[in-house]
Amino acid sequence: MKKKIIALLLSCAMMATLVGCGAKEEAAATTESAPAAEAEAAAEEAAPAAAAEGENTLTVWCWDPAFNLNAMYEAEKVYQKDHPDFKLNVVEVPWQDIQTKITTAATSGDYSTLPDIFLMQDNAFQKNVLAFPDLCVDLAASGIDFSQFAAGKTAYSVIDGKNFGVPFDNGAVIGCYRTDVLAEAGFTVDDFTDITWDEYLEKGKVVLEKTGKPLISMQAGECDLIMMMLQSAGASLFNEDGTANIANNDVLKEVVNVYGELRTAGVLTEVNSWDEYVGSITSGNVAGTINGCWIMASIQTAADQSGNWAITNMPKLVAANGTNYSNNGGSSWAVASNCKNTELAFDFLASTFAGSNELYDNILPSGAIATWAPAAGSDAYGLANDFFGGDAVSAKIVEYSTHVPTNITGAYYYEARDAVAVASTNAINGADLQSELDNAQAQVEGYIGQ
Amino acid sequence: MTRRIKNIIMYGFLIIVSFFSVFPLYWMVSAATNKSVDVINGKLIPGAYLLENIKCLWGNQDVTAAFMNSVKYSALLTLVSLLICSLAGYGFEIYHDKGKDLVMSIILMAMMVPFVATLIPLFQMVSKWGLLNSTLGFVLPSISTPFLIMMFRQSARSFPHDIIEAARIDGLSETRIFFQMFFPTMRSTYAAAMTITFMNAWNSYLWPKVIMTTAESITMPMVVSNLVQGYVTDYGMLMCAVLICTLPTAIVFFVLQKSFAEGITGAVK
Repeated sequence: MKKKIIALLLSCAMMATLVGCGAKEEAAATTESAPAAEAEAAAEEAAPAAAAEGENTLTVWCWDPAFNLNAMYEAEKVYQKDHPDFKLNVVEVPWQDIQTKITTAATSGDYSTLPDIFLMQDNAFQKNVLAFPDLCVDLAASGIDFSQFAAGKTAYSVIDGKNFGVPFDNGAVIGCYRTDVLAEAGFTVDDFTDITWDEYLEKGKVVLEKTGKPLISMQAGECDLIMMMLQSAGASLFNEDGTANIANNDVLKEVVNVYGELRTAGVLTEVNSWDEYVGSITSGNVAGTINGCWIMASIQTAADQSGNWAITNMPKLVAANGTNYSNNGGSSWAVASNCKNTELAFDFLASTFAGSNELYDNILPSGAIATWAPAAGSDAYGLANDFFGGDAVSAKIVEYSTHVPTNITGAYYYEARDAVAVASTNAINGADLQSELDNAQAQVEGYIGQ
Repeated sequence: MTRRIKNIIMYGFLIIVSFFSVFPLYWMVSAATNKSVDVINGKLIPGAYLLENIKCLWGNQDVTAAFMNSVKYSALLTLVSLLICSLAGYGFEIYHDKGKDLVMSIILMAMMVPFVATLIPLFQMVSKWGLLNSTLGFVLPSISTPFLIMMFRQSARSFPHDIIEAARIDGLSETRIFFQMFFPTMRSTYAAAMTITFMNAWNSYLWPKVIMTTAESITMPMVVSNLVQGYVTDYGMLMCAVLICTLPTAIVFFVLQKSFAEGITGAVK
């Protein structure tokens, strides 16, 4: 008898566990289809039952609530004005996780787990579309006028002449300077506008001598600045045909030499981590920085330095006949091949991120600056920013972005970038530059050959 | 005298080591109470910004849902996995024969296969069964782990077989021997296994990140990861989230600390 009771209890316990799982599973299933259910409910309320489940809902994956998610919510509001039934289901997914999910979905051939629209880092765009040709939808049918975006930005998401991404946030490179520190050394920000790297070095030495502060800090072992300088001269680590262009890249050699000179002179100081890099700026240990315009958000956390900052363009390379403009970072919206309603996705993107001044004005306070040229004409973009000495920085940055030369990221951008970071670090520390670049070239060719 | 010098050296060494292990924890707690700018500029003393950080964190992320999800997933996984692994470990030891020993070696070999290698096939299976975004999908792949089975097998080895024989003669069924005799005796092993399983489940990141695709099903480690994605990272808020994420495992560990040590040493006896 007792045996039976125990057996009964055991099976009850097992059942309870399984039922528990099942219930949660159901619950999860309901939450999964929650937007659809809500849409359905909305449709029922609005009488015409034609709006079948999920027809007016798009799911979006992106990261950074203050920036990208905020932009999507604002876009939803803008689009809802003409399409009251429209709903967005925005899921916060960090970029690395989006990459993992894309890779898992593509490798297992099951794209059904992907959302309708997702945000992709510009540098990873070509890699993902080349590696997984079924991942994104060609946007040719969307009616978006891509010529209204900065060419240097759009190029990131163009593969074989087809547009796969709607460019979003601006990564135009700006030179930020502490005007109070520069004044101490007898300079103004105009002395750093439209200059060459040689002039930057000479003036940097003066600033260092008079104030004891380096002009710029950079993260050791990373090659952000090197890549920005490279792109400012329109050069890339790859050729048009996808082959590596490292060992015989004269621009790259000039860039590494300039970087080495800056570091040797003490005008550039290296720090160990990103946190230290931001800390060196906000604590006033350096007189400025050069980075993508999104760095302004970090600079502005040092509220006590308000009014003491100014922005201008970056120095240019002389021998390579470079420009004063480049790009670092930024991302674009892609429509997944799994999208259940591509027409809706196309129309949504075309009438918001590729067609709404209102949207770009609304998201400007969050620091999101457009690459969509018409946005720069609005009043919001012309407003003075007191932190940056009353300058109309937003309009300035959109203007910069239109001058950025295009570059080729290819399928192995991150690998090539890492190889060049190692090579340049070794070269600056005394190794032979040519043999280091040869190594990097061989390494990247190894990846391509795989 | 020499003994005193020895003690001084020993304690000096221990103090340095404990400083290095405790300092990151201290820094986590103190950073959670400071403004982001202060954290970046290296402020080490606790500030008065904790409430503000908590408010920001809750405004930024759905921490309550993530916390409840983590508790739900981890608790269920721990319970089910302890039951199954202890039954398996007990079975492998008490009823062992050549065949079962061979199976056990195969299971142990499975320990060598990294999780990443099985990720894609597992994802395909779970996705085909429609278990994405579900608790069951989270729990199933790690319901039985070679390590736990081995741990319970080792502890069953130290369980006197004479007692089992005596119980059998007295007419106790095999199930009751397990639940009424083995289970209470091996409490410390269960405690150790529970600590390990709970910590692993709580901290697991890759698997939930692959199968959880909705905003409602996120876990605490995913919240922490969400916070470092932006162009600007709020370090005070981030450390606040890390603190909240660390607390449950710390509590579980401290509550079961004594049994944990006993269980671990017992397992390798």
